[in-house]
Amino acid sequence: MNSALWVSKTGLSAQDTALRAISNNLANVGTVGFKKDKTVFEDLVYQINQQPGAQATQDATLPSGVQLGTGVRVASTQKEFSIGSIQTTERSLDMAIEGRGFFQVTLPDGTVGYTRAGGFTLDQDGQIVTAQGYVLEPAITVPQGSTDITVGSDGTVSVTNAGTTTQVGNIQLADFVNATGLEAIGGNLFRETVASGAALQSAPGQNGLGQIGQGRLEASNVSVVEEMVNMVATQRAYEMNARVVSTADQMLQYIAQNL
Amino acid sequence: MDRLLYVSSVGLNNIEQAQAIRANNLANASTNGFRADLARVMSTEVQGDGYRGRVYGVNDTAGVDLSYGSRIATGNDLDVAINGDGLFAVALPDGREGYSRDGSFQIDNAGMLLTQEGFPVLGTGGPIALPPFESILFGADGSITVRPQGQGPDALVQIDRLRLVNPTADQVRKDSTGALVAAEEGVTQLPPDEAVTVVSGFVESSNVNAIHELTEIMSLARQFELEVRMMKTAETNDEAASTLLRIG
Repeated sequence: MNSALWVSKTGLSAQDTALRAISNNLANVGTVGFKKDKTVFEDLVYQINQQPGAQATQDATLPSGVQLGTGVRVASTQKEFSIGSIQTTERSLDMAIEGRGFFQVTLPDGTVGYTRAGGFTLDQDGQIVTAQGYVLEPAITVPQGSTDITVGSDGTVSVTNAGTTTQVGNIQLADFVNATGLEAIGGNLFRETVASGAALQSAPGQNGLGQIGQGRLEASNVSVVEEMVNMVATQRAYEMNARVVSTADQMLQYIAQNL
Repeated sequence: MDRLLYVSSVGLNNIEQAQAIRANNLANASTNGFRADLARVMSTEVQGDGYRGRVYGVNDTAGVDLSYGSRIATGNDLDVAINGDGLFAVALPDGREGYSRDGSFQIDNAGMLLTQEGFPVLGTGGPIALPPFESILFGADGSITVRPQGQGPDALVQIDRLRLVNPTADQVRKDSTGALVAAEEGVTQLPPDEAVTVVSGFVESSNVNAIHELTEIMSLARQFELEVRMMKTAETNDEAASTLLRIG
């Protein structure tokens, strides 16, 4: 059967995956702390029908052989950890990391998850938790009756209670050698993997980590214009691959009807 | 049986192969750094006694097209594109040196600079290992400067320099993994070229010209129909010949 059919099929499915990543990026354009995905393609193995450099005759070699490519595949989808734009909200428990680093939260299974989404709230015990209710790690409890919560740029959390100000804890951030290697598990959360390397903890503003900006949130780093352009390019590439499928189909049809 | 039939059927096979090469180019129209494959057919005469009318087409991939793709601004520090001619050197798993235009690099947990396929990117002294860094800068000549983690902007460290080569199109060929390697048998490394320059924050797209490829595919489809037509003619001729032999 015509191998152009199968080659174009790989093109179609790769563009399909790319479109899915683009639509996910666009769907999350308003998600706080969301990091966009980039689809990376790579060509598949080549079939060598005739080895270049092989002996054509005793004293002549073939200048180039016959090598047929077999298509394309999605090599990876990569998270891009560029910083999104910072929005001012004036809410005391909204925190943005102004630079590198991740907030650490305790997941239900006891392991640590990492997030850039700093829209925290308090739970019924006064602990600082994410929107999903996961406790910030190390846990910080705000005593009942506190009127004012202040988060310093170095992560120091202090509260005002009946006119006196007390420190209740310090926020620690985590950093990774290769943040792109983190596993996205949804809910704006990431998990450590072998590829990301171990988490390096330190206080905000130390060891190259960003400082904490209270009353601010980090918007998603999706650029709508860029995604739209990617969508156009993906759609056209899809159409052209589909065109090859129909051409190959017509060729086969022609031979089947005319011979 | 008329041998015209065989000449045409070889033609059909060639068209199918050329079609596969074009389809592969189109499928890789969005693969960063991909270089289009070229296809050509050489006429080969059948040697021997008799009438010299049998000239078969023999397919031949005429190497790769090393023309430039378009440059896409990404703003990513680890994306590097080559200005003008030149190729990045990478270490292939079998120990040979491979060459690529895909400068969309990544780092692994040990700080090794890798291509998207996971092959180590080569510097002047072999694979490039980066310390944990806050920011990275690729200079125009491929030299890599990092600001190590926790250090000020006054503590920049120069790590290495990308190994850049500049072969002519006939000095490289694609191997079965799709990576470019030195074309000459027994040569594993090409000499570096100091004149190649790079720019960071950009990736180079595939150099496949979609319009050209699609036009070629259409033209191949028409040629295919012509070949089938020739085979049909051969069949009609054959039928006519057998009618002659019919008695009565």
